[in-house]
Amino acid sequence: MATTTAEAPRRGAISRWETRTGLLFVLPCFLLFLAFRFGPSIAGVLLGFFEFSIGDSPAFNGLENFRRLLGDPVFWDSLRVTLVYTVLYVPLSIGMSLGMALLVRRSFRGAGFFRSVFFLPVVTSLVLAGTVFTWLFSSEGPWTKLTGEPWLASTTLVIPALVMVSVWSKFGYGMLIILARLQDLPRELEEAALTDGAGVWQRFRHIVAPQLRPALFFVAVIETTGSFQVFDLVYVMTGGGPAHSSYTLVMALYDQGFKYFDFGYASAIGVALFVMTLVVALIQRLIIGRNR
Amino acid sequence: MSLTATRPAPSKQPAPSRRRAYKALEPSPAGKAVRVALLAIATPITLFPFYAMVVLSLKPAAAVEFPGSLLPWPIDTGAYEQVLGGRDLLLWTFNTLVYSVVSVVAVLLLASLAGYAFAKKRFPGRETMFWSFLSMVMVPYHVTLIPTFVLIAELGGVDTYWGLILPTLANAQAVFLMRQFIMGLPDELFEAARLDGCSEWRVFTRIVLPLCKPILATLGVFVFLWHWNDFLWPLIIGQGAEMRTLTVGIASLQQENVPLNVVLAGATVAFVPIFAAYLVGQRYFTEGVTMSGIKG
Repeated sequence: MATTTAEAPRRGAISRWETRTGLLFVLPCFLLFLAFRFGPSIAGVLLGFFEFSIGDSPAFNGLENFRRLLGDPVFWDSLRVTLVYTVLYVPLSIGMSLGMALLVRRSFRGAGFFRSVFFLPVVTSLVLAGTVFTWLFSSEGPWTKLTGEPWLASTTLVIPALVMVSVWSKFGYGMLIILARLQDLPRELEEAALTDGAGVWQRFRHIVAPQLRPALFFVAVIETTGSFQVFDLVYVMTGGGPAHSSYTLVMALYDQGFKYFDFGYASAIGVALFVMTLVVALIQRLIIGRNR
Repeated sequence: MSLTATRPAPSKQPAPSRRRAYKALEPSPAGKAVRVALLAIATPITLFPFYAMVVLSLKPAAAVEFPGSLLPWPIDTGAYEQVLGGRDLLLWTFNTLVYSVVSVVAVLLLASLAGYAFAKKRFPGRETMFWSFLSMVMVPYHVTLIPTFVLIAELGGVDTYWGLILPTLANAQAVFLMRQFIMGLPDELFEAARLDGCSEWRVFTRIVLPLCKPILATLGVFVFLWHWNDFLWPLIIGQGAEMRTLTVGIASLQQENVPLNVVLAGATVAFVPIFAAYLVGQRYFTEGVTMSGIKG
């Protein structure tokens, strides 16, 4: 606690006094970051180069974990599952978010109500959502009766099923971000286009859409890195099955780390995840840089 | 209450010419009809899982088969008696409350202290430190999972509240939001308080914190939501049944082959507090999202 009673510190004294209080105020946060973010981030990457299990001390084994990773069909499966999931999920969720944002854009009676309804799934935990949806997709559930097949039991339909649930639970988030941007757009451009006789589609295509690009891009990046890390839903709804067809990267990481206690190998999977995230960040920088 | 409440409301009586243009941008009757139709389809679809959750939880175990199960009658509260009668759900709720509430208070305090220092103080290494905090947003949480678990386990924090809470307090986004907000506060206020003889701690508690109320509310709701719904970390650190949170508990019910109506009764009970909080504090939830989205 800073007890500096500043009797209007003189000019020269300011910097030392400011330094002290400033550092003191940052210190608690800094220690936490050191212990639980900086340290573990570095350790997480380094552990990939070690053989390490619970109760053991880490033993350096070079690239062994990564060599094993590259030869492990389960890893390649989980990578493929994660990428398929991402490729299906990201465009669908952005489309849904954008569509809903455009629908509730103008204020009309009940607009607030609809926004609240569509945001409700976002505040619901994925575990609860997963529990209900497991029934909806189960052999007694409506979706199965409707489509004639239990999707969660199908190696080809399980990912689309999980994607549907994710879109349901997340589109409200993107909707709000896009909506916030939509409401900040100046009306004048659209009004001018209207007087020039531009229709709804033309106004969207040439005036609204270009101005929305930063928001759409932000949502795309968030959703992409988020879907690399999908776990809760998979854990609750399928456990990675059937036959590893919904076994995602983080499922693999969790199993290696906390089922088989192979911390080194699990960390190697974490490194793969990290690299994927960095690639997305890099692409983001390139595209944003080019737009400037 | 909704997102619009946070923005300057359009003036009630726009100038006539402006109103005409404004009106013209409004959708045509046909456009309106399409919009209403789409919303009328989307709303029940979005709400259906909630409806199913509540209705199925009010069925006897044998009657969860579609379509008969989706009529609200007859009601059977057996599942609720079972869920609320046991001590598990109470314990999980208590654990979740401890996890969320303590985390919110701690994150707000730590982040506003750091945010104030980053925004208004000059000290060596300030920029480097701030950007290194922020860069942590780029590191997936899962990369840090194993080292953090090992560290907490070594310190004896498995199955303890502090082991559950402490690692989640290093929240880069919170620090960033607090810094952004405090940067916008006028320096004169702090100077005046200092001239009146306030210690730096008093300036913080009497001037900075009260001025930060709006951002603290918004950030607080957001952090609360995140902790309330968090799953992976509580799953890992709570190895015994005693330390389960609601999310972990509900997931464990499902895996222990508890009848579906009981699981869903538990899920409904777990959903009620967050739903109530959502109804009351909707504006803050949505603000939290848009702020973290736009500035984060």
